Amino acid sequence: MPMLKNRVKEMRARYSLTQSELGKQVAVTRQTIAFIEKGEFSPSVTLALKLAKALQTDIDELFWLEGEDDNEK
Amino acid sequence: MKNDFRLRYPLWNMAFILVLGVMAIGLNSRFVDVTKTENSLTINAQAFDGAIVFGSLLLYLVLITIYLSQLKAYNAKNPDSKISPFAIRPPEYMEEDEGMTFITRKAVQKVYTFFTWALPTLALILLFFPLPRLYIIWGILAVSFGQYFIYYLEIRKHFKEETE
Repeated sequence: MPMLKNRVKEMRARYSLTQSELGKQVAVTRQTIAFIEKGEFSPSVTLALKLAKALQTDIDELFWLEGEDDNEK
Repeated sequence: MKNDFRLRYPLWNMAFILVLGVMAIGLNSRFVDVTKTENSLTINAQAFDGAIVFGSLLLYLVLITIYLSQLKAYNAKNPDSKISPFAIRPPEYMEEDEGMTFITRKAVQKVYTFFTWALPTLALILLFFPLPRLYIIWGILAVSFGQYFIYYLEIRKHFKEETE
């Protein structure tokens, strides 16, 4: 089963944002940002889009499925 | 978050359950023996069992006082999400957003799985083994303790390695 990976922590660091600051921008708690970064929780499409917008990137740059190619073979 | 009252709430319930378990020892023994005759009424209270009941009752009152003061402090800090001590919905549910809802759901699923096995097992044990009343009360309290313990462990696991 492919796993959802993300670059949230890396992108957040690029903009020198704390988890709380990013959380505030997308209207979620700091804990939710931490869960996403740790890969414990896969966000909804809405939240993923909000995160991509807040971090000024495309959604597929921020989130991707690992093992996706293996499944297609 | 680690100091969030809702995160510690299961610990409070576990403490209350333990105190009730101790109190049950005293209440289920014959520490008060009432003998009534035509002209007299004799009440014999055994010191040890009485001490257990009154000691645990005192501890319960101390715990509930601290609990209510912490609840009051939490409500003062969080006026938008106040917790009522008489709410039907358990206050340990943390559902401010989708991430917190997901973690709460995971913990609740584990508790549900526990109940699915624990309650029929307890019923079977009580059905086949004629246990004294105290053991039945302890069994029910143990299941209740297990519920909060599982919930607390699951929630704590997710908040353990929080980093900013």
